[in-house]
Amino acid sequence: MRLIRRGDDHAWAQPRLSHYVEGELGWRARRRLELHAEECPDCSRGIRALRALLRLLHQSAIESETRAPAGIFDRVRRDTSGDPRDRDREEEAT
Amino acid sequence: MLRTSFAIERRESDLVVAARGGDVGAFEDLIGPHADRLYSVVLVLLRDSGEAEDVLQETLLRAWRGIGRFRGRAMIFTWLYRIAVNESNRALERRSRRASAGPVDDAVAGVAAPAHHGPARRAEQHALQQALGDAIAGLAPQYRAALVLRDVEGLSTREAAQITGVGEAAFKSRLHHARQKVRAVLGDAALLSAAS
Repeated sequence: MRLIRRGDDHAWAQPRLSHYVEGELGWRARRRLELHAEECPDCSRGIRALRALLRLLHQSAIESETRAPAGIFDRVRRDTSGDPRDRDREEEAT
Repeated sequence: MLRTSFAIERRESDLVVAARGGDVGAFEDLIGPHADRLYSVVLVLLRDSGEAEDVLQETLLRAWRGIGRFRGRAMIFTWLYRIAVNESNRALERRSRRASAGPVDDAVAGVAAPAHHGPARRAEQHALQQALGDAIAGLAPQYRAALVLRDVEGLSTREAAQITGVGEAAFKSRLHHARQKVRAVLGDAALLSAAS
């Protein structure tokens, strides 16, 4: 099926760049965006920038891998003196 | 593989039952394997190690007090993430009130662009990571959570939507908004430079 290029493709494409990178667009919309991006440096750059952003975010997860500090269960331990049914009732009330 | 998964599930359900009965050791065994990841998420959301530790402790306390209501329909980590994100959002609200600032989203426009003129590429990358952290911190809590859970933590859209308590369509809308905001703050040139 032949896709007709429209004059408003740029305004249509810009808010869909992230959806495109995510692979959420249907065939027709994806093709329309790709055809437009081939001729639009702004949208083409936007797609590459979003992909770079996703890589950067993923990389930040790797770099921020951290260990939970010791003593994270301290409050829980302090809370164990009472009857567990009391703590459930207390939580219901919050 | 299925056997292993079944064994883990069985063990988790046993631990849940024991924790409901007040066995704090069982609770620690149940939650402990998720603690590092939980802390990492809270730290990215809050960018303050002291506050993150406090929120993590509060998250675990709420989980302990609420374990009686955990029915096992959700996975344990999804349930924990949900509590952690809610607690982080509460902390952000408290911080916002303390600072008497306007909506957090407004801060986005004030975040400095990453430096491009560093003598070494390593320094440039570091500056970009710093700017990325600033840009994430400048997002309103609901957008920040969407970006961190999906793009930093790598959760599926369905998992992340469940954790944030919204439908998948609403979650995607938040995610795309967050990406566009962060992209606008960092600038395409800096992002492409980092990728090259």
